Amino acid sequence: MHVSLAGITKRYGAILANDDVDLDLVPGEVVALLGENGAGKSTLMKILFGFQQADAGEIRIDGRPVVIDSPRAAAALGIGMVFQQFSLVPALTVRENLALGHRCTPWWIGRGARSFAAPVAHLRDIAPEIEPDLPVSRLAVGEMQLVELAKVLNLDAGVVILDEPTSVLTPAESERLWEQVRRIAAGGAAVVLITHKLEDVFACAQRVAVMRRGRMVATLDTSSVTPDALVRLIVGAETVTTAQPVERTADALPRAWIKNLSATTAAGAIAGVDLRIAAGEILGIAGVSGNGQQTLADAVAGLAILLAGEVIVDGETLQAPRAEMPAQSAVAYLPEQPLRNAVAPDLSVAVNLMLKRIRDLPWRSHPSQFDADARERITAFDIRPTDPRATAASLSGGNLQKLVAARELAGAPALIVACYPTMGLDLGAAAAVYEALFAHARRGAAVLWISEDLDDLLRYAHRIAVLHRGRIAGIADTAQATRRQLGAWMVGHSIDVAAEPAHA
Amino acid sequence: MDSLDIVFTGFLISALRSATPLLLTLLGECLGQRTGVINLGAEGQMLVGAMAGYGATAAFGNPWVGLLAGAGAGVALSAVHALLVVGAQANQFASGLAVWMLGFGLSAYFGAALVGQQVTAFDSIDVGAAAQWPVIGSVIAGMTPTVLLALLLVPVIGLWFYRTRTGLRWRAVGESPAAARAAGVSPATVQIQAVLVGGLLSGLGGAALSVDYTRTWAEGMSAGRGLVAVGLVIVARWNPWWTLPAALLFGGAEALSLRLQTADTPISAQLLHILPYLVSLVVLTLTCLRRSDSGTPAGLKAVMDR
Ligand SMILES: Nc1ncnc2c1ncn2[C@@H]1O[C@H](COP(=O)(O)OP(=O)(O)OP(=O)(O)O)[C@@H](O)[C@H]1O
Ligand SMILES: [Mg+2]
Repeated sequence: MHVSLAGITKRYGAILANDDVDLDLVPGEVVALLGENGAGKSTLMKILFGFQQADAGEIRIDGRPVVIDSPRAAAALGIGMVFQQFSLVPALTVRENLALGHRCTPWWIGRGARSFAAPVAHLRDIAPEIEPDLPVSRLAVGEMQLVELAKVLNLDAGVVILDEPTSVLTPAESERLWEQVRRIAAGGAAVVLITHKLEDVFACAQRVAVMRRGRMVATLDTSSVTPDALVRLIVGAETVTTAQPVERTADALPRAWIKNLSATTAAGAIAGVDLRIAAGEILGIAGVSGNGQQTLADAVAGLAILLAGEVIVDGETLQAPRAEMPAQSAVAYLPEQPLRNAVAPDLSVAVNLMLKRIRDLPWRSHPSQFDADARERITAFDIRPTDPRATAASLSGGNLQKLVAARELAGAPALIVACYPTMGLDLGAAAAVYEALFAHARRGAAVLWISEDLDDLLRYAHRIAVLHRGRIAGIADTAQATRRQLGAWMVGHSIDVAAEPAHA
Repeated sequence: MDSLDIVFTGFLISALRSATPLLLTLLGECLGQRTGVINLGAEGQMLVGAMAGYGATAAFGNPWVGLLAGAGAGVALSAVHALLVVGAQANQFASGLAVWMLGFGLSAYFGAALVGQQVTAFDSIDVGAAAQWPVIGSVIAGMTPTVLLALLLVPVIGLWFYRTRTGLRWRAVGESPAAARAAGVSPATVQIQAVLVGGLLSGLGGAALSVDYTRTWAEGMSAGRGLVAVGLVIVARWNPWWTLPAALLFGGAEALSLRLQTADTPISAQLLHILPYLVSLVVLTLTCLRRSDSGTPAGLKAVMDR
């Protein structure tokens, strides 16, 4: 199935999200769609998937113009999409979610898994460890991604669109995904892979298409381009700087003590997690997603009810079972999935930037007061669009992430909990968020940094702890850490308690 | 059969009969709320159902025709809610109130001529050998067709909702319209269907009330049952299976208050009349005190937040 998009234009108010964009999709080929945050990648693909309508332009399938006015119409034409913001129903089970979009779900489903096996067949293939009868709300992001992929595979689609599928995956998970992507393409489908990671491009794309500020600036063969040239194409005239690692101060005072923490949330459980972070230290948390990372982050930030343990910052107990949440938190928190966990989508960017200080606001405050304040943060973090009155929901995925970073990294928090802070960010923006985060470390804040990107962890963290099944499987100084050791801890092997350095 | 047994079965039968109109309405409201639409108009739909059902029974001399007419009237009135809420994106509470008032006015206007008329009752159902079964035999024999219908609808709707593809789609729409849309389900279509089914069931409930339970027509005779249904959905945890015990709560309390009235208790009849509402309110409060909002469809929370 040969799909061509011609002259696609889409305007949101003052923003031209897509400006006369052309793109050809050929069977058996993987196209990587690249571009900065807000370049219009998701918008273009949402138009192809019928989720949004173009203002102008045409979609042709095998030369014939088609109208795609709903995802249903797209699915009927054999077009499937995995969204950047997940589109699974959290309250339903994995199996039910898969059955929902499955063509051959029988009318009578029954409770037996037998008549209901077809929808999970692909999931069994790509992720046998996911229990199909678990509610989706209990899965980790990485697992949700695989469920989403299984959903699209179920469509037997001729065109498969993946919107930043690897942004939260561990290297191993990414490799598994690349293999699936290559397999789908080998099966004769056209694949569009939206990504910010260059390794994705070189691992599985034959062609790259680069967008900048709504326009398609280049389409070329992967084999004819170097990573550096690609980066220059993406950012245009701007220059990218990578963040500088933070020097480790030798005899820094301990700043934060996560003392013997146990907690259970819908996302998972942690038991007896004990970590000390010194002033200016960046402690990385690695692990396969779903092993308690989210619960740990929520618990430290004060969003989970603790079963046992304390969080002590600067000698003061901040979180303990049945403790009052302190009014002015010394903890900054960048949670995963910002759209769901960290913003009020229907409120403006300016108000969202104010949320942390909402208790200090005067009783009667005028919106224009915080507009000025917001503008400063918006320029500092390069949030696009720059209008402080735009609703948070209208921001692109990466810009939402920047919005949360801009809010949380204001002021002088003593402890920063950051979950995948650069998820979905383009190179420049990722460097900017790292810089802001590290500036706090240089100032003396303790940083708890949850990431699935081992490369980044090894480059920037001072120590790396690995979570497995809600417990610390091991902890090592980055200087001594090896990928093999970390990998072994991730799957629960050789719990080497002695590796914890005497640190206090 | 000893007298305790007779008292017990008698009470159970009257509780069931009193619960039936409410149960039907509750089922309909439950389905609507599970797709993310709250319908305060259930009260008005019951009223037009009761009026149309009563009128049709009087005109055609057949209570079954009455039930059909009641259901039809309920659907017609709920179409207004569907149109306003799904079609025009109106506020659900405002639209529901409007539908309620509309139903009240229409039923009062067209029902004025029906006051004092007589209708033919349902023939008692022949349950055959089942009447001889111990204990429940006499309960079964005491049932009217509407009671049986409502009792049958609970498992039918319960199974349909949790065990079929369409039920799955409805649940998905209530939890996340965006995700449902991405999966190729049209949330608007599902919500319209659910509101209309809610109208059908509440119209049927109204007809069961006037044609079978009280066998009279009086203005405003549903007496808040429709609104009680809106609240009891919470007690039923948005689960069609739990609508039966929730409705029996109200029915049982009403049966008890009737018993107490005929037994010449010194409590005034007016006070006894509020007993079923009081019980519903107390249970509702207790349910909500437990705080866990498990079962609330996420799409409905979005409605409340507006
Ligand atoms: N529903 C909407 N309403 C208003 N503006 C929107 C809406 N959706 C997207 N936009 C705007 O359109 C532009 C393109 O957004 P899009 O989501 O396509 O970016 P993207 O290339 O996918 O970026 P990212 O890499 O951050 O996901 C952005 O400026 C965004 O703010
Ligand atoms: Mg995007």
